[in-house]
Amino acid sequence: MESMGSHREIVDASLAIIPLCPLVGAMVAYIVGQKQKDLAGWIATAASTLAFLFVVKNFFALGTNQVLLDKSFVWLSVGNFSIDFAFQFDHLTAVMCLVVTGIGSLIHLYSVGYMAHDESRPRFFAYLNLFLFSMLLLVLGANLLVLFVGWEGVGLCSYLLIGFWHKNIAFAGAGRKAFVVNRIGDAAFLLAMFLIIMNYGSLDFMALSRVMPGETSEGLATLISVLLFIGATGKSAQIPLFVWLPDAMAGPTPVSALIHAATMVTAGVYLMARLNFLFEMAPLAMLVVCMVAGLTALVAATIALVQNDIKKVLAYSTVSQLGFMFLAAGAGAYWVAIFHLVTHAFFKACLFLGSGSVIHACHHEQDMRHMGGLQRVMPFTAATYWISTLAIAGIFPFAGYFSKHHILSALEHAGAHNPQLFPWGVPLSYIATFAAILTAFYVTRSAAMTFLGSYRGHAHPHESPWQMVVPLVVLAGLALVGGVFLEGALSLQHYLGHAIPVGDVHHGESMASFSFLLNALLHSWPGFLGVGLALFLYTQAKEIPGKIARAFGPFTQVLANKYYVDELYGAIIVRPLEGMARFLWKGADQAVIDGSVNGTAAVVEISGELIRTTSTGQLRHYGFFMFVGTLFIIFFYMAL
Amino acid sequence: MNIFFILLSAIALSSALGVILMRNPIHSALCLIVNLVAIAGYFALLNAHFLALVQIIVYAGAIMVLVVFVLMLLNSKLEEQKSAGLFMLVVSSVFAVMFIVHMSKIYGAEFSTSGVASASLQGTVANLGRVLFTQYVFSFEASAVLLMAAIVGAAMLAKTTPERPRGDGERV
Amino acid sequence: MSTSSYLTISIILFSIGTIGFVVRRNAIVVFMCVELMLNAVNLAFVAFARHHGSLEGEAAVFFVMVVAAAEAAVGLAIIIAVFRNHRSIETSDADHLRL
Repeated sequence: MESMGSHREIVDASLAIIPLCPLVGAMVAYIVGQKQKDLAGWIATAASTLAFLFVVKNFFALGTNQVLLDKSFVWLSVGNFSIDFAFQFDHLTAVMCLVVTGIGSLIHLYSVGYMAHDESRPRFFAYLNLFLFSMLLLVLGANLLVLFVGWEGVGLCSYLLIGFWHKNIAFAGAGRKAFVVNRIGDAAFLLAMFLIIMNYGSLDFMALSRVMPGETSEGLATLISVLLFIGATGKSAQIPLFVWLPDAMAGPTPVSALIHAATMVTAGVYLMARLNFLFEMAPLAMLVVCMVAGLTALVAATIALVQNDIKKVLAYSTVSQLGFMFLAAGAGAYWVAIFHLVTHAFFKACLFLGSGSVIHACHHEQDMRHMGGLQRVMPFTAATYWISTLAIAGIFPFAGYFSKHHILSALEHAGAHNPQLFPWGVPLSYIATFAAILTAFYVTRSAAMTFLGSYRGHAHPHESPWQMVVPLVVLAGLALVGGVFLEGALSLQHYLGHAIPVGDVHHGESMASFSFLLNALLHSWPGFLGVGLALFLYTQAKEIPGKIARAFGPFTQVLANKYYVDELYGAIIVRPLEGMARFLWKGADQAVIDGSVNGTAAVVEISGELIRTTSTGQLRHYGFFMFVGTLFIIFFYMAL
Repeated sequence: MNIFFILLSAIALSSALGVILMRNPIHSALCLIVNLVAIAGYFALLNAHFLALVQIIVYAGAIMVLVVFVLMLLNSKLEEQKSAGLFMLVVSSVFAVMFIVHMSKIYGAEFSTSGVASASLQGTVANLGRVLFTQYVFSFEASAVLLMAAIVGAAMLAKTTPERPRGDGERV
Repeated sequence: MSTSSYLTISIILFSIGTIGFVVRRNAIVVFMCVELMLNAVNLAFVAFARHHGSLEGEAAVFFVMVVAAAEAAVGLAIIIAVFRNHRSIETSDADHLRL
């Protein structure tokens, strides 16, 4: 494998300003927010936009075959081993940063409208900016440790924001669940870092990309890769650690859009793309990634079919789409994974924000069975939601088509790239195609149930304020033309080729040619199939879905209960742990440790009470004791 | 000599008992003066002439005058109302008897002779003065400072502060 | 007379002083009992001095007297101060340091 770090020109730049913007913004927003609650949102939005502008500046400053580097300071130095607090800005980082700060800024603006009536909005915007800071650390970090700081930081902010309405016990529990499940992945991530330090003595990406390919055995590479992937399954909600993401919908909807759809959950994909040289050395690990990702994409899509909570549908959709990204990364097409990451960020953020707009309008009603017909009262929301639906369905010329098409073709050709994947590439592409049909179906179902038909709820829905509509329109625009732009104008494959291996760049036929258009429309068939089926079933033949559900009664039940994964984990992990914790609490802590501590205190107290009775405050008693004591000393002395 | 000793012992012990048994503090003080004079007598018997005189002048004179003066000042009619604590009396007497028996047994065996007696070692003014101004000169000067400090301290403790509000019932 | 006779008298006087210290409540009487004990010790000092043929014991007695005089001055001043605050010189009343 070609190592990318060796021949790139390193340019000094001041990159620390990018993450510092939201960090300062968080503090200022919180402090100012104590007096002026409405100002907090605008400050946070301004900080986020400023970070976006700095990213754009660096985006244009970044030349071909360059990498911008900012060694802020030496963080730790132990013997020969030292780690800098350093930032690195290459073409991969540029794409990630643009997505994070760009969509982040839009969602900040949206939140100003969405959270306008919440009492604790300064806290909300401080968390949101803090999240942006952590995410920027994650993507800008020039070594694994800085990345890990960001990795943990986004985990913390995710926890804080899921449990933002912490007075609701269930919401706080959802935050805790996300935190604990992420911990499991983080432990594996840490182990991988230890292994890398042990074997290479460095965590720096560029140093590793130079050192690793030469002197790594396949076994070690596989071990490290699998550990890192376990870390990624935690953060990016893959089987078996995906259970936290649907519960994470307890947080405010902008949070779901920003953290649990567009940015944080893609950290695992970014990690794989960043450490591509490592994964390339471990074909077996790649196979594991592909298998897990394919399974996740399929399982999550089937669960999403029967959910009635609009945010739950989108949550499982996110899990499924993350599976698509990992499929691409596992097949060795990292740039495709990043491509899908970007387009997914566009349309999924738009879908989530649209659902937030609907929820806002329906007075926090999330059940789609109590919606319907909202197209008439919320035209902007409906239009943007439909555009994003078509985008996620993978219909040409919407953004989702391009990335999905690339994923499928990458899977078909994966066998040539990675011999371990040889027999699996084509079946995986079939699974992915099937999941894509399901995706088109369930998203269209949610759109149809929400916006078509007649209204079934009791609230008085209304269009959302402009702060919420503007981001929706921008994101829908991106979902509409983003794919064409990234494929054609920017040529993401070529652009990312400066930073990560992308395979052969084929310029192919012009996008304007008739044969290309026909070909593209033909390749959109899974999307057309899913959308058409859903539209037919939920507008024309409304009784059929119920019949199907009854016909497959037990299977529907299993899907509605999300394959009983939560129950399974509860039975085999949570319950025994609880039992052990209870034993340690009651048996060990309360009985032994507290007992001994309290016992010591009791002994001291009782003896103190006893001795206290001799302290009468009477001079003569003290004199008497002195006399008796002297007497004893004399007797003792004489007896010697 | 023996007769003097027995006579002094009778006076000293009975006056000492008087100190602790008299209910009126003034009577106790008078008994103590008698006791101090008796001890001065012992000093004389032991050839400590200077100490015998100082005992009478300083102790029986100055200090006891001070004590009696304070007693008069603080309402000498103040009788002890409550019983003296029979339990404490019995217990402390038992321990005191143990102490006396034990110590006199030891001393009786060890100090049965009257020891050495020489004219140069008699406690005359000249002899004691020589010791105090040579061997103990530093302690002697230090004791002068101590007395000075005691006088200042006593004046400090005993004086009433005029600026303190008189309306306070607890304080005079 | 043997030294032990003086020592025995000294011990008895000391014990009487101790009993008085323990039994009596009037602060001035307690103070006088302390003086009694000091004098008992003085007597022992002088007896030992004669027994060993040395003047050091008598010098010690001199210093005991000095300290006793200082103690009398300060002690009686304290008793006056206590009396001013408590209207009483009973030692059993001055137990404010007790918890």
